[in-house]
Amino acid sequence: MSEKAPLHYIYDGIEEHDNRLPNWWLFILWTTIVFGAGYWFWYHIAEVSPGQLGEYNAEAAELAKRSQGNKPASDETLLALMQDPKAVDGGKAVFQANCASCHGAQGQGLIGPNLTDGYWLHGGKPVAIHKVVAEGVVSKGMPAWERTLGAERVKAVTAYVLTLKGTNAPGGKEPQGEPEQP
Amino acid sequence: MQQQRIIYDDTTVRRFIMASVVFGIVGMAVGALVASQLAWWQANLGIPYTTYSRLRPLHTNAVIFAFVGNMMFAGVYYSTQRLLKARMASDLLSKIHFWGWQLIIVAAAITLPLGITTSKEYAELEWPIDLAITLIWVVFAINFFWTLKKRNEKNLYVAIWFYIATIVTVAVLHIVNSLALPLSGLKSYSVYAGVQDALVQWWYGHNAVAFFLTTPILGIMYYFLPKAAERPVYSYRLSIIHFWALVFIYIWAGPHHLLYTALPDWAQSLGMIFSVMLWAPSWGGMLNGLLTLKGAWYKLREDPVLKFLIAGVTFYGMATFEGPLLSIKSVSALGHYTDWIVGHVHGGALGWNGFMAAGMFYWLVPRLYGTKLHSTKAADAHFWLGTVGILLYIVSMWISGINQGLMWRATNPDGTLLYPNFVETLLAIRPMYIVRFVGGTMYLVGFIMMAWNLWKTAVAGKAVDGETTVVVEEKAAEAGVAPAPVPGWVQVVTGRPLVFAIAILAATMFLGWAKPVRALVLMGAIIAMGEFAWIVTRREREAGKPSWFGLIEGRPLAFTVLTLIAILIGGVAELLPTIMIKQAVPAHGAAQQPYSPLELQGRDLYVREGCYTCHSQMIRPFVAETQRYGDVSRAEEFIYDHPFQWGSKRTGPDLHRLGGKYPNLWHYTHMMDPRATSPGSNMPPYPWLAENRIQVKEAPKKLALMQKLGVPYTNADVDSAEDRQKAQAEAITADLATQGVKVAWDSEMVALIAYLQRLGRGPQDVPATPGGPPTAAVTGSQGGSR
Repeated sequence: MSEKAPLHYIYDGIEEHDNRLPNWWLFILWTTIVFGAGYWFWYHIAEVSPGQLGEYNAEAAELAKRSQGNKPASDETLLALMQDPKAVDGGKAVFQANCASCHGAQGQGLIGPNLTDGYWLHGGKPVAIHKVVAEGVVSKGMPAWERTLGAERVKAVTAYVLTLKGTNAPGGKEPQGEPEQP
Repeated sequence: MQQQRIIYDDTTVRRFIMASVVFGIVGMAVGALVASQLAWWQANLGIPYTTYSRLRPLHTNAVIFAFVGNMMFAGVYYSTQRLLKARMASDLLSKIHFWGWQLIIVAAAITLPLGITTSKEYAELEWPIDLAITLIWVVFAINFFWTLKKRNEKNLYVAIWFYIATIVTVAVLHIVNSLALPLSGLKSYSVYAGVQDALVQWWYGHNAVAFFLTTPILGIMYYFLPKAAERPVYSYRLSIIHFWALVFIYIWAGPHHLLYTALPDWAQSLGMIFSVMLWAPSWGGMLNGLLTLKGAWYKLREDPVLKFLIAGVTFYGMATFEGPLLSIKSVSALGHYTDWIVGHVHGGALGWNGFMAAGMFYWLVPRLYGTKLHSTKAADAHFWLGTVGILLYIVSMWISGINQGLMWRATNPDGTLLYPNFVETLLAIRPMYIVRFVGGTMYLVGFIMMAWNLWKTAVAGKAVDGETTVVVEEKAAEAGVAPAPVPGWVQVVTGRPLVFAIAILAATMFLGWAKPVRALVLMGAIIAMGEFAWIVTRREREAGKPSWFGLIEGRPLAFTVLTLIAILIGGVAELLPTIMIKQAVPAHGAAQQPYSPLELQGRDLYVREGCYTCHSQMIRPFVAETQRYGDVSRAEEFIYDHPFQWGSKRTGPDLHRLGGKYPNLWHYTHMMDPRATSPGSNMPPYPWLAENRIQVKEAPKKLALMQKLGVPYTNADVDSAEDRQKAQAEAITADLATQGVKVAWDSEMVALIAYLQRLGRGPQDVPATPGGPPTAAVTGSQGGSR
């Protein structure tokens, strides 16, 4: 592109050329304007797409469909899982990362209750423990974990907690709740 | 024919430079400190005044308003006088402006570490300081426009256009965003709440970047770059197009800070598309800077001034490409709340603002002291230290931000979160925090070298004021010319570019409501109008008619009014419907009950400690977020939040549905020692909360003030506030006591716990309304339905 002669105004010694605008710059300018118009048309005039909440609902429904295949937990399946060293190891890792800060690294209880003493606030049966982990106990400040951890990890961590039963970890918090009925 | 000698006021320029360099060092040193705190939490030093969450606002305010502010004033005062061939109108006003601004900075430096803050980002200063800012800004404006009036140069150079846009727009932004009702001399509440407050805040926040950190510096570029390069500006017509496009489009872009939040979809889309459209106008400025050096590139090798200016403009180009990119919704979904944004703004702040400042100072100081720069070698070393520092900074923040964004959303094959524990994602980026600290420190060291270099230069010379001679009789001669057949203002308002712009904009506005067929017709009409406008203007230009732009460049008043209109259109279009929509937001359910008195007190502590600097309260509509934090946040849940607390960064997890998730003891333990409950966390401890007492008597006053703001407290609520406050506090202390923790009922700790336990659900000292919306702890992937 050719440089045009400077304009006649000179400000404190500063001159100005009047070069034409580079084509690639004009291309960016017009493309983004056309994109903007198209975007507005697509989402707000034609309303072809459902908007952000619609997209979220679809995503959530997809996930719900995927987790439909999950088998509900039962005493038997949880006890069987307890015998599976791989599952228990996985559960232990989850426990250390998410539960230990309140229940202690050995499950001896800190902010949350002792898990090793055979006393239970909400029942010591496998399904009862599973329910507490999965759904939480809002009034006591036990978070619901199934949403964050997913069904499999909740089962695994329940299996791990079952192995802690009766280990009576040293330095444990005093018992809370009822002793487990055999 | 009479000659008049004009001596410029360069004393004020020298003062502003000095202030900018000093506060630059302070602001960046605080920046380096807060960067180290993110890598090593011990650097919080265990006292309130040096805690990250109180210092981070000090860092941002110091860099924006003290460092860049003073630098901008120096550049504006120096170049305006020379471009108008007139001394600043009033030395007294210049003095008031300078000292007033420094007083404001000192007030900020005292109040922010004390926790006196509104919590609105880059507008944290409390109402008396806000008033002072308004006052000083008006002084600056009067001084500037008065000088325009007295000018000895008929037309206004492009730098002056940018200064006009800056002065007008910053005034509008600051006043609208700072509207608040005071509770006391040092505490006020925003008149806006929730969604409205968020939108007003980010309309302000984004345009503080646009009109405080960008337009004045572009003006400075247009003066100092051609001066230093001794080359003509590349293209006058490019400067017209990019100026008007920039001021018109920039103001719309604010909502890109709120993508995927509870802000209505239409406002989000406007924010996004206007941000994308900003790419070309921004690059217009960069081009006019870079191409001005055409034919003089060799000068880059020897002149440190040009090195800084050209690198600064290049970083501007980078940041203004990255900005539109980050404004695309799907990119924002990944980058928002992460360090990517932090890297982006530092590309602008360190690269564009910092380097433009350095270039300008290295050029100015030798001239202001009638001598040569003390050491070119040291300036070169500063350049390389700074450049490597910036690159380390932004690259580490890219890696950190993208990494963390991906980890937050990573899932197992069964759709569950791969990293359910937030701390894992924080530990992964810690090495990058260290690299960032190193990069930032390098930059600071370079900057200190500059301070030394400038000081040596100044003491080697002697302060000299610039001067010029003008012929004053020209004016009288002009008055004798026969008046134009058409009065000037008629020519202005009937100018082709203005008429066409108004027609096209008016038609475009209807696209906001049009149905598809009508919209297509409208778009066709707009294109036809554009085509017609193009043909007409082209023909007129070829016929040699005087340009309308040339006309308004000789009329500061018309120019200022047109600029004001250009920036008001976007603001009105976005803010007005959202503020009116208040009545349209469905208010129902327990979460829409006003805060209890104790919760309100706790909320003020959340604001005071600056929790919002690291925690968001806005769960976006993604499954990965609802799995981690709970149901999607809804607009109506925030209607009593004066001010909103959505946050903009997640150094820690989102807190919107924290209420009821953990026991009181967890919060107590966590606040006393965050690592006791969250090993690996970099959160500072807040042990003073257990010692300090709340102002018990303030509770009814706060409720009464909220009443005035439209929160539906009854008079009975106000009267019973103290009793209710005590009852709720005692319930919490009793619960803590059963776990062996003793804390006073009126301690700040208890109030903050009360607030945190209420987040995402109703007030916790009254029985929940049956049938209210589910709380966070209820399992299920439902959520976000309106």
